[in-house]
Amino acid sequence: MSVRLDGPVIRLEGACRVEDAEPLLSFLQEEPGRVVDLSAAGGLHAAVVQVLLALRPPLAGPPGDPFTERWLAPLLAGPPPG
Amino acid sequence: MSELLEQFLIEGRELAQQATEDLLALERDPADAARLDSAFRAVHTLKGSVALFDLQPMQRALHAAEDLLDAVRAGRLGVGRGVIDALLDCIGASEAWIEALARTGTLPADAPGRGRGLEEALRAPLQEDSGAQPASAEPPSDASWAIALAAAEAPAVAAAHAAGQEVTALRYVPAADCFFLGDDPMALLRAVPEMIALRLGARQPWPDGAAMDPFACNLVIELLSTAGEAELRQAFRFVADQIATAAIAPSAPASAPASASEEASAPGGAPGLGGRSLRVDAARIDALMDLVGEMIVAKNGLAHLVAQVVAQLGEADPRLARALGESQAGIEALAEQMHRTVLGVRMTPLARSFNRLPRLVRDAAAELGKTVVLDIRGEAVEADKAIVDGLFDPLLHLLRNAVDHGIEPPEARAGAGKPAAGRITLEARREGEGILVEVADDGRGIDPARIRQAAKARGLMPEAAIDALGDEEAVQLVFRPGFSTASAVTSLSGRGVGMDAVRAAVEALGGRVSLASRPGAGSTIRLLLPQGAAVTTVLLVRLGGEVFGLPSDAVAETARIPAGRILPLRQGEAFVLRDRTVPLVRLSALLDLPGTPRGEMVRMAVVGSGAARVGVEVDGFAGRADVLLRPLPGLLSGMPGLLGTALMGDGQVLMVLDMPGLIG
Repeated sequence: MSVRLDGPVIRLEGACRVEDAEPLLSFLQEEPGRVVDLSAAGGLHAAVVQVLLALRPPLAGPPGDPFTERWLAPLLAGPPPG
Repeated sequence: MSELLEQFLIEGRELAQQATEDLLALERDPADAARLDSAFRAVHTLKGSVALFDLQPMQRALHAAEDLLDAVRAGRLGVGRGVIDALLDCIGASEAWIEALARTGTLPADAPGRGRGLEEALRAPLQEDSGAQPASAEPPSDASWAIALAAAEAPAVAAAHAAGQEVTALRYVPAADCFFLGDDPMALLRAVPEMIALRLGARQPWPDGAAMDPFACNLVIELLSTAGEAELRQAFRFVADQIATAAIAPSAPASAPASASEEASAPGGAPGLGGRSLRVDAARIDALMDLVGEMIVAKNGLAHLVAQVVAQLGEADPRLARALGESQAGIEALAEQMHRTVLGVRMTPLARSFNRLPRLVRDAAAELGKTVVLDIRGEAVEADKAIVDGLFDPLLHLLRNAVDHGIEPPEARAGAGKPAAGRITLEARREGEGILVEVADDGRGIDPARIRQAAKARGLMPEAAIDALGDEEAVQLVFRPGFSTASAVTSLSGRGVGMDAVRAAVEALGGRVSLASRPGAGSTIRLLLPQGAAVTTVLLVRLGGEVFGLPSDAVAETARIPAGRILPLRQGEAFVLRDRTVPLVRLSALLDLPGTPRGEMVRMAVVGSGAARVGVEVDGFAGRADVLLRPLPGLLSGMPGLLGTALMGDGQVLMVLDMPGLIG
């Protein structure tokens, strides 16, 4: 279990697997504007990355995982891909 | 078992089956490019998913198979018998390994040796051709993405080139269903050596949140790396068909790449994920069926209890009694509806069994030096899974029989003015409430005179009775237990299993079998089967403390005869029924069980008809019941004389007897 709703914040914790994509998507759809916190997240499965890429929620805190911080965070924070 | 492994077992079986079908089709028509692509994709995907587990021998063998298919695809190698044989062997071994994984969780101990053998056989055709180098034959491809990527990441490219490094661009478009195959493109990215730039895009524009399917991969991944092209491809070797690479020339980032190669990317190419269907392991459906069976048993028990309570309570509290009765009736209706629903879920196309047959027929024909064309029709017809699965063994036996005894050797066919290749047709179609499956061959047919002769030699029936049979009836004698016309025992069908085993297996499924033959022109065997799970009416008979079931169809009548009217007859006994003498056998003797002393009246079930009538003595009758007959697993296993088992209302397992098999 690595997707948890904490007030207005969706916390991803530990390694995020393919089955985490669906709960993440429903949390984001339930209430637009929710923030996703990646600081305690490990490696993100591509399915999870894809949800973040498609819905572009605001991200909180620096990602805890070096790969996510180095390569994914700039893409997720930047403008939507053209 | 992990969910991933479970999924792999399901997918792996399908991919192996797909590859087998494609290869067999390719053998018939080597120019069929669609089949070649499909075989390549199946082997490639299978190999890719094998990589998720530690299955070295299987992975190496499949890798060699993929290389071989790739060489064929590139036109470097023709589709010869040797190539197809090596590939089929590899797929066959993979199938066996998948089953071993399902049973034990590991590959068998001989897998490394077997894998090496397969690998060598698969590499051999490639080495023969190693003289012809394909390098110049690379198709030109559109690499505009690489130009755009290099332009967008110009600073990173410039810095790398300034440091004297070469830059390679890679574009990876994961298949839409890659998540289902256990792929995680991100995990691959983490393993990319010397990455200097990464971009993520979408293949299709992202839909609105509500319409998004989180399990369909829509990513387009582009990256730059200073590792060489070969090293980069190595990192993506399991998704090699989904990537393209290009070297970025140092001179001007915006100019055309020095070389580009793209392997046909086929997003969403893997089969079977359409619509809103859900994949479920057949074992889970079986478990559900067992639960429903138990629920019906519990429901019957409840009905009994409610009847008792109502009888006692009826006068004291009629309203409570009525409410109890209504509630029980409601549960009964629900249980029956559920039973029907689960039976509906179990409907499966016959293809599930049919598709495994061509390969086995091909092997059987090859072993006997015959050429056989198998034509399959109607594989989309559906029936209950138990029937579809239960058909496999009898059909395999019938087809092997047709190859072995029906189709003549090539010289004999030439002499008879027939085409050299024998033709066997396996056809299924709906017929009334049931399904009809026919196996027809254009072989030598069956000579009724030979059948009569063999039946007499084996003492199946009195000679006069055999002579009285018409030709059409005489050929049905092959279904009698103990009958086998094969004079030479071959490894194919000489294992002591004859057509009687086919008959028993088909009857256990609630079906019937018959044979028609024209000497010189071929034989047709017709299997008439129910479409739903076989509900069989059985006559319950007591023997000592035990109860057995006799299929109602097999019992002509029941009779009670005073013990004094039983006549001794040579080694046995007989009685007179409507002026005809009928032999009497004891069921206990047929089953090798201790006999019980005979009372004043002898109770018997009369089975068979005409001259073949026999009285079977039992201790008593215990009514009739409709049961769901479970066939015995496998044609060869189990006890002769046993048709199957059924779960009774009280939870007891009932043995249902195969009367023709017992009496012989």
